[in-house]
Amino acid sequence: MSAGADAQLPGAASQLDSFRHYRHLTVELAISQFKLRYTGSVLGYFWSLLKPAMIFAIMYFIFVDLFKINDGTKFYGMQVLLGIVVWTFFSECTGSAMQAIASNGGLIRKAYFPRSILVIAASLSALFTFVINLLIVFVIAVGLHQIDISLRIIIVLPLLLELYLLALGISLFLSALFVQFHDVSHLWEVLMQLLFYGSGVMFSLTYVLQRLHLALEVGSKTPQTPHLLWIVQIMAANPIMQTIEDLRHALLTPEAPWTELVVTGHLAAVHQYAALDVPWEAPLPFLAVLMVVIFGALTFRVRARSFAENL
Amino acid sequence: MADRDLAIRVEHLSKRFRIPLDRSATLKHRMTHWRSASRYRTLEALLDVNFEVRAGEFLGIIGHNGSGKSTLLKILSRIYRPDAGVVAIEGKVSPFLELGVGFNPELTARENIFLSGSILGLNRPELHHLFDEIIGFAGLEQFVDHKLKNFSSGMEVRLAFSLAIQAHAEILLMDEVLAVGDAAFQEKCFDIFNRYKREGRTVVLVTHGLGAVTTYCDRALLLDHGRLVADGDAADVTSQYRRAIGMAADGSRPNAEIERWGARDVVVTGIRMLDERGVEDVNPATGGFVRIELGYRIQNDAIADFTCVLWLMRGDGLMVSEATFPVSQYAQVGESQRGAGGTIRFDIPQLSLLEGTYSVDVEIQGRRDQAPYDHLKNAVHFRAIDRRARRGVIEPGGVWSVVPDEQPPTWPDRFDPRA
Repeated sequence: MSAGADAQLPGAASQLDSFRHYRHLTVELAISQFKLRYTGSVLGYFWSLLKPAMIFAIMYFIFVDLFKINDGTKFYGMQVLLGIVVWTFFSECTGSAMQAIASNGGLIRKAYFPRSILVIAASLSALFTFVINLLIVFVIAVGLHQIDISLRIIIVLPLLLELYLLALGISLFLSALFVQFHDVSHLWEVLMQLLFYGSGVMFSLTYVLQRLHLALEVGSKTPQTPHLLWIVQIMAANPIMQTIEDLRHALLTPEAPWTELVVTGHLAAVHQYAALDVPWEAPLPFLAVLMVVIFGALTFRVRARSFAENL
Repeated sequence: MADRDLAIRVEHLSKRFRIPLDRSATLKHRMTHWRSASRYRTLEALLDVNFEVRAGEFLGIIGHNGSGKSTLLKILSRIYRPDAGVVAIEGKVSPFLELGVGFNPELTARENIFLSGSILGLNRPELHHLFDEIIGFAGLEQFVDHKLKNFSSGMEVRLAFSLAIQAHAEILLMDEVLAVGDAAFQEKCFDIFNRYKREGRTVVLVTHGLGAVTTYCDRALLLDHGRLVADGDAADVTSQYRRAIGMAADGSRPNAEIERWGARDVVVTGIRMLDERGVEDVNPATGGFVRIELGYRIQNDAIADFTCVLWLMRGDGLMVSEATFPVSQYAQVGESQRGAGGTIRFDIPQLSLLEGTYSVDVEIQGRRDQAPYDHLKNAVHFRAIDRRARRGVIEPGGVWSVVPDEQPPTWPDRFDPRA
């Protein structure tokens, strides 16, 4: 007698069958969630564009006009807008996917399907909004001649994939815990606040370096505040910082060489300062994403067994 | 599986739920009470259950509330994981237990068909192909693009049902599908059951409607506190269950003997309680249709005028209601003759009694002198079953509303709490 023996031993054909079906179900759920997100509002889908635009206006006014944050980079406004669009995706995706299990209790208690479908569907629906927003930012940027269109645009795709995987991994983890501990939503809100500043949504890594006076001049070997070096190192290991910086780098920095774009884009600024030559940092964000995805998926897998009972 | 005919094989299946004693779902509570974190009550939802279902069999699962029948169904559909035991299933199982799984009130009928249909295991091309049929069967052609929240509950159930019957599972699991909808809807359900039977599909049905079990199921399982206490012919198992629930511990003497007296000028030849399909059922649902039928025969030529009186009695002896029917005014007996008789029907379109045990007393009496010809005390015992487990005695059928009103009722001054 095997405890908790599984119900079926499906053959390869039926496994492919159910894979197809579950893929179809995921898409179907994502579509309806996308539709549902804006029902009951007059402006409907328009909100998904309006929201980042309004946040951008506020942030730009406060940070740029009021506090004069500007690292002197070309297209600074575009940099900020790009950061906000990425951040909006990350925050909406994790926020809605976190509730995906708990808010679908009826479905989970009454029907069988892999539970992760609900989280994936929620994240896909956020991804869809994100891609549209990104396209609109792109069109605006082209219209304002604030973008450098070249073949390097293809780098955007793996970056989006990386960002999506990160958001999905976190969503799986949060949604699984949220079923039993609603605390995670509050905790996550606070963490998001920290991440917002730790991900350079409003500023680039270069700007942080400049502000910390880690080096007064490019090439200087004596940073003024070496004890704050860790801040830059942590930020450089943050996958959101890395994706935002790399996106900016690929789209808004026409002079950047290819090698820099592919491998250490987000560290390009750091590398300008000899004292901070830390090549081992380059793969850290990718490792972080990988770990988040694995950890999130495992946590979800273990906890998913009892979702139906705990909801 | 060795036996190709077997659809479901369950061996030594056990499932227990751990119910925390003080339900607190915050991290702080977990941290501050970590020592007592293991304090919970264990509920043995299923205990060493063994049974097999052959392909094409129609199996009913009955038992009181909390007996584990829904848990069993959820394990069969893989919604719950068993704690111990083997569940082997041969064939495609329907992944849903109820009608309208995944329906969203904010979506239109069309959108809901595609969403809920996907959960039922249908893909987009199939749903496109079946769309007109589903809408047509539900009779909702004019409401395709209306939001579900604007549908009446009947319309919603029709939509859910016509969608559910398109699911092409070999093994269908159904949890109380019959409890929703009106008589016409239940009629449709039974048509579909008959079709499934003809097609040789395996159906596992959990229900309170014992009538449905005896009519449609080849076999029935009776669960009691997580244990399988009976497995066999549907009629045998349901009558065993009837006997078991008759002895409910609410202070009543539900199985009291029939007491009978009277002059026998007219006799009651038999009495029974039926559901809307004419199937005998002594466990009517609150809000459901109930028909009490009694046969009578005139034994004395001199009797021309007689009345039937029926009392609904609660288990503790309280008279719930009295109903009188001057039979001879309506019966086609004319000049009443010895040996003439017929059937008297008392229809309750919507049973207003909430859960509890009741009995029926009947009497046929002379219309003028009210002399008892045949009195049967405790002629029928029944237990009303309220699926929504409401408290109280009757379901008054009240309707709540709130309206803007310029002259709302006010207290007389002497009752004004502000005074």
